Amino acid sequence: MCPSLPSSFLLSLLSLLCFSPYTALAIASSPADSISNSRSDYHEQLILRPLPLSTLLASFNFRSNTSLSAFEAHNFRFFPRSLGQILEHAGTRELHLRFSLGRWDAESWGARPWNGAREGGTGVEMWAWLEADTDEEADRKWLTLTNALSGLFCASLNFIDSTRTTRPVMSFQPEGNHIDANATNMHLLYGVLPHEVVCTENLTPFLKLLPCKGKAGIASLLDGHKLFDSSWQTMAIDIRPVCPEDGECVLQIEQSIDMVLDIDRSKRPRDNPIPRPPPAHEMKCNTSKPYHAHDTCFPTDSAANQDWSLSQIFGKPIKGTCPLTDPTVSPVCIQVPDSRIVFASEGAVEKKNPDQTSRCFDFPAENDFEIFLPAPEAQDGSVVIEHVAKPETPLLYAERSFTGHGQERGGVQTILRNPSPDQEVEFIYMESLPWFMRIYLHTISARVDGQPGKADSLIQEVYYRPAVDRARGTQLEVRMTVPPASTVFLTYDFEKSILRYTEYPPDANRGFDVAAAVITILNKDKSGGNGRNSRFAAYSLRTTTLLCNLPTPDFSMPYNVIIFTSTAIALAFGGMFNILVRRFVAANEGPESGLKKGVNKLKAKLAGILKKGRKESAPAVAAEEEKKAW
Amino acid sequence: MPRLLASALSLRRDPRLLKLPPYLSLLCIVVGVVWLFLLPLDDYSRRTYISENALLPGQVHTYFGGSDQNVFRAYKHETDELAGKGNIEVNDKLESIAKGLGLKVGRQNFTYSSAGNTHSGQNIYAILQAPRGDATEAIVLVAAWKNVKGELNRSGVPLVLTLARYFKRWSLWSKDIIFLFTPDSIAGPQAWVDAYHDAHDSSRVASLPLKSGALQGAIALDYTRETRFQSVHIVYDGVNGQLPNLDLINSVNHVAGGQMGMGVAIQEMWKHSNSYHDRLQTMLRGMLKQGLGLASGPHSSFIPYHVDAVTLQPFGEGWQDEMAIGRVIEGTFRSLNNLLEHLHQSFFFYLLMQRERFVSIGTYLPSAMLVAANFTIMAIALWVKSGQPDVQEIITEKTKTAEEAERIVSPNPHVASERDLFLPLVLVAVCQFLGVVPLYLFNHLSESALIPAFVLFSVLSSILPFLLSNLLHTSTTSTTAQQYHLIRSFSLLLLGMFLSSLATLNFSLAFFVGVFSAPLTFVRPCPNSSTLRWLSMVVLYVLSPTTVVLVASMLPGLDEKVGCGLGEVLRQAAFAWDVTGTYTPVVVWCVWWPAWIVGVVSVLGRPGAGDKKVKKA
Repeated sequence: MCPSLPSSFLLSLLSLLCFSPYTALAIASSPADSISNSRSDYHEQLILRPLPLSTLLASFNFRSNTSLSAFEAHNFRFFPRSLGQILEHAGTRELHLRFSLGRWDAESWGARPWNGAREGGTGVEMWAWLEADTDEEADRKWLTLTNALSGLFCASLNFIDSTRTTRPVMSFQPEGNHIDANATNMHLLYGVLPHEVVCTENLTPFLKLLPCKGKAGIASLLDGHKLFDSSWQTMAIDIRPVCPEDGECVLQIEQSIDMVLDIDRSKRPRDNPIPRPPPAHEMKCNTSKPYHAHDTCFPTDSAANQDWSLSQIFGKPIKGTCPLTDPTVSPVCIQVPDSRIVFASEGAVEKKNPDQTSRCFDFPAENDFEIFLPAPEAQDGSVVIEHVAKPETPLLYAERSFTGHGQERGGVQTILRNPSPDQEVEFIYMESLPWFMRIYLHTISARVDGQPGKADSLIQEVYYRPAVDRARGTQLEVRMTVPPASTVFLTYDFEKSILRYTEYPPDANRGFDVAAAVITILNKDKSGGNGRNSRFAAYSLRTTTLLCNLPTPDFSMPYNVIIFTSTAIALAFGGMFNILVRRFVAANEGPESGLKKGVNKLKAKLAGILKKGRKESAPAVAAEEEKKAW
Repeated sequence: MPRLLASALSLRRDPRLLKLPPYLSLLCIVVGVVWLFLLPLDDYSRRTYISENALLPGQVHTYFGGSDQNVFRAYKHETDELAGKGNIEVNDKLESIAKGLGLKVGRQNFTYSSAGNTHSGQNIYAILQAPRGDATEAIVLVAAWKNVKGELNRSGVPLVLTLARYFKRWSLWSKDIIFLFTPDSIAGPQAWVDAYHDAHDSSRVASLPLKSGALQGAIALDYTRETRFQSVHIVYDGVNGQLPNLDLINSVNHVAGGQMGMGVAIQEMWKHSNSYHDRLQTMLRGMLKQGLGLASGPHSSFIPYHVDAVTLQPFGEGWQDEMAIGRVIEGTFRSLNNLLEHLHQSFFFYLLMQRERFVSIGTYLPSAMLVAANFTIMAIALWVKSGQPDVQEIITEKTKTAEEAERIVSPNPHVASERDLFLPLVLVAVCQFLGVVPLYLFNHLSESALIPAFVLFSVLSSILPFLLSNLLHTSTTSTTAQQYHLIRSFSLLLLGMFLSSLATLNFSLAFFVGVFSAPLTFVRPCPNSSTLRWLSMVVLYVLSPTTVVLVASMLPGLDEKVGCGLGEVLRQAAFAWDVTGTYTPVVVWCVWWPAWIVGVVSVLGRPGAGDKKVKKA
C-alpha cells in the first residue's frame, strides 16, 4: 500500500479492511504500514468463512510486538521468552515456520487465505535470515536454530540437514524491515521436511507461545481433535523486525492457523464418529424421480448448506476474550453475505462492514461466545450458492505429478493454468529436490497446452544448483510466465539413484516424499512502491508433495544371506577347526575311557606289582609319532 | 578327490557318455512334468497367509448397508435407464451423479485400432480426495460398463456409485480413492492406466485431466446379475501372466470368506472339494490363463504397472445381496487404506490351487526349468558330437579287425574335427528371422483377412521345411551329418535359452511351449528308416504351432459348449498385442515356430548321402 498516506486515515481504513483475510495480506506484505495498528502490542482475530460444498475456513491470527530495545534487554512481555532466546542465540533476523497438512482445493475453494503467504507445503517448512559473516557460520547457526526449534516444537526439525537445506535466490524476500537487507551478512536458508506428520504435539507448544495460551480468547477453540480432522490446515509462525517510519523498531511475532473444516464431519458427535447410514426416513431424497418409493431414494445434493454453530463445529464455544488483546480489534468476524441471518450469543455486538459480505462481533471478555448460522431457506441449488461468499479466483492453478513408471528414471510434470482472460502471470517456480533424484536439466521444457512444440520463451530465467550425493539436494528456481487463459506444462526428467543399504528408512517400500514446489507469483507492478518489496509476492502457492519410488532391495534377503553364510561358515569352520586342533591317534593307542580304562588300570597295577620298572608312557609317544606322520 | 577327478576325466573320454544325453533329456522332461503333477499334494503346496501385517483384513466392522440400499436402488434405476445408450450419454449421467456427490470428475477419450477394427470410447473417473491427505497415494475402484463377455455391468456400476457416496462420509481415508468407469473391460482400463503413468501414445489415448498420487491397489467389480448370489469369484490373472501380490487375494479371501461368510472361488471352479483332482484342475486352468497372457478383466491392465489388482465377480444362487459385496469391497478398501508401504511382502509368483493353497516360485519353477534344460543338454551333446569324426561311419566302412577299430576309436575323441559353422548358422538365423513374418502378418491384417492368411500360412509353413531340405540337398556341397548336428544344436540351444529365461517371467507359457516342442529334442535325420522318419514327421506336424493354434481354437472353452473359433482366437491375439501388449505371439512365432521348422528340416535331412555315394563309387 502507499506509505505516504496519513496514518490516521490508514488506521480507519485498516479497521475496515482487516476483516477479510485477503485484504489482511496487505498488512502482512507491507508491515511498515500496519505498525500504527500494532502499537497495542497484542491482538487476535478469528475469521470464519463458509466455503462451497459445506466446508468452513477458519483463520486464527495472533500478533504481538515487542520493541527491539526491550527484546535486547531481555524484557519479554508478549513475545515468548523461549523463542526469543533461541532467536538471539542463533543470530536470527527473521524466521518463518510452517506446519501443514492436507491440500487446498483451489477448484472449489478459490484463492488461498492470506494470498498463500501464511502456508507451507505438507509437512514442516522453515526459512530464516541469519546474520553471519561466512556461509559456514550461517550453516552452523542454522544447525543451532533447527535443533533448538526441534525441541521447542516437538518436530523433527533437527532432520533438516545439509541435504534438505537450500539457499533460495529468487523465491523469498524478507518481509520485515532490515536496515541492511542486501548486506552480505544476511543469509537466507530454507529447509523442508515433507514426510513430517503434523499432529497434536506440534499444536501444544504453538499454543504455549500465546499470551493467553489456549485458555481464553479465540485460541480456546483450538484443540487437536478438530484441528487435525480438518481437510486442510496450516500453522504458521512469522517473526520479523518492523520499523515504522516514525517510531522505534519492533520485533513482531505473528502466529496464524488456517483450517478448512468439513461441516458434516465436524458436526458428528465425538463419541459416535462412525458415519453409519442414516435411517431411511431421515434421508433427503429427490422426490421428483419417477421411481421414488419408500425403499428407493435418489439422494439430493450433499453440497447443500447446513446450519452450524461454533460449539457444534469446534466442540465448545469461545471462552471470553483474552484480556491482553487490543479491544479495538473485533475478535470474531464471519464472511457471509449480509442477507444471511447470523445469531450470536447474548451481549455480543454485531458490526456489519460496508462491503456487505462480512460482519464482526465484539463481546464481553468474561462471557462465552457462540455463533449460530441457520441453513439458508432456499429450495433449489442455484440460490444456495449465493448464501456463501463467492470464492475469489486464484491467480494460478498448479498441479504437479510424476510421469513415467519403473524404478530407473521418471519425470515431473507441473500443470500451470492461468484463469485470467487477459493478464499474463509471472512467477518463480522453486523445487528443492532430494539428492537421489538426479534431474536432467536439459530436459526442462515448458509448452502451452494445445500448441505443439516447445515454447522456451516462457522460461525466462533458471537458477540451478546441482545436487551433491549425500551432501546437498538439488535446488531449481525457474522464473517463467503463463500467457492469459492458457495452460502450461512444465516438465523435466530425472534419474533415480540407488541408495546404500543403510540409507533406506524402515518403510522403504512406501517411497520417498518429495517436497512441494513453491510458486511465488510476482507483483505485476514493477516500478511502484518502496523498491524491492513491491516487486514481490502478489500470491504464493504450493503444489502437493509427491511420493517417489526408488529401487528398493528385498530387505529380508540379507537375513537369508546371513543365515545361509553363518550355517556354511559354522559347518566349514567347525570341520576345519576340528581337523586342526584334534590329535588323531589309532584307537588302540589312545587313552582309554570308562570301564575299560578302569579295568586296564587295574591290570596295569597288577602288572606293575608283578613286573616293576616297566615304562608307562608308551601311548603318548605313539601319539607324537602319529602327528609327525600327518 | 584327485581320484574322483581322474575318474571323471576318464569318463569324459568314454564314448558311452555321448549316448547318455537323450536319456538325460527324456528324464528331465519326465521329471519336469511329473513335478508339476506333484504340486497339488499337501507336501508340496502351502496354506496361504497374510504376510503384510498392516493389512489387518477382516478386522474392521463394515457399516455399508441400511439406507444405502435405498440409494443403491435409485442408482440402479438410473443405470437401467441408460442401458443401450451411447457412451457419452452414459458418462454425462455418471458425471452428474459423481459431481453431486462432491467428487472431482475427469474424462478421457481413447481410440485403439486392431485387426482393422476401431475400439474407441470414453473413460470417466471421479476422485475422492482423502479428507486429510495430500495427493501422494491412491487406490482405484473400477466398474466397467460392460464386462469381458460384453454383458452390461448392471449392478456393479450403481454399487460403485453408492460406495462412492458412502466412502465420502468417512474421514479415515489416508489415500485418495479413484472411481473409474470404463466403457469396456480391457481397452478402457488399459488406456486409463497407460495415461495415468504417462506411458500412452498421445495420438490414440488422451492424457488425463486430473491425477492423484501413486496407485497402491485396485479392485474391479464385475456384477452383472440382478438376483442374489452365493459367493464371489476372484479373477486375478494379469497381462502376460503377471499376477497381483498374493496378499491382496488373501485379503479379499479373508474379508469375503472369513468375515462375510461367503465363499470365494478362483479360476471358475464353482465347486471345489479341495481334492487332488480339483486342485490340479484349478492349477492347470490358472496355468492356461497365465500361458495365454490375455487380459482377463479390468484389473489386468493395472498389474504391469506394479499396481496390484483383482476383479470380483459375484456368482451362484444364494442369499447374499448387493450390500454384502459392497461390504466386501469396503473391508478390502479399509485394508488397503491401512497399508503404509506398497504391497511387497508376499509372493508375486505363485500358482493357486485352492483359495487357501498355493505353491511359490521356488517350488514350481524347477518343473519348467527342467523341461527347458532338456533342450540345452541336447544342444551341448550335439555340439560335442559334431566335433568328433563320425565314429560309426569309420567303423562300418574301414574296420577289418576289432583291434584296428579300437585303435582308430580311442585317440579320436581328443582331436576335435573342424566344424563347418557357416551353413548351420545361416539356416538357424534365417528360420529365426522368418518368425517375424507371421508375427507381423497376424497383428496387422484386418479381421476378414485373418483366417485366409492363417490357412495360407499353415500351408506355407508345412511346405517350407521340404523346400529348405531340398535346397540343402541340391546345393553344390551336400550337407554333412556334422552340419545337421550343428543345425539342431544351435536351434535347441536357442530354444533352451529362450524358454529358461521365459520360465522366470511366465512359467506357464515356458512350460507349455517346452512340452509341445519336447519331440524336437529327439527327432534326427533318419536316412535309413523311412517308417521312423514318417513317424517323426507325424508327431512334429501334430505338435506344430499352427496345428496347436487351430486345435485350441476348436476346443470348447471352460463355460462354452463349442470353441470360439479360429477367427476369434486370431482377432483376440491381435487385440491383445495391439492394446495390452501381450507377448505370447512373439514366443509362438519367434521362438517356437523357428525351432519347429528346423526340427522338421532335420528330420527330412539325408546327411552326407552324396559323399557316401561318391566314396562307394
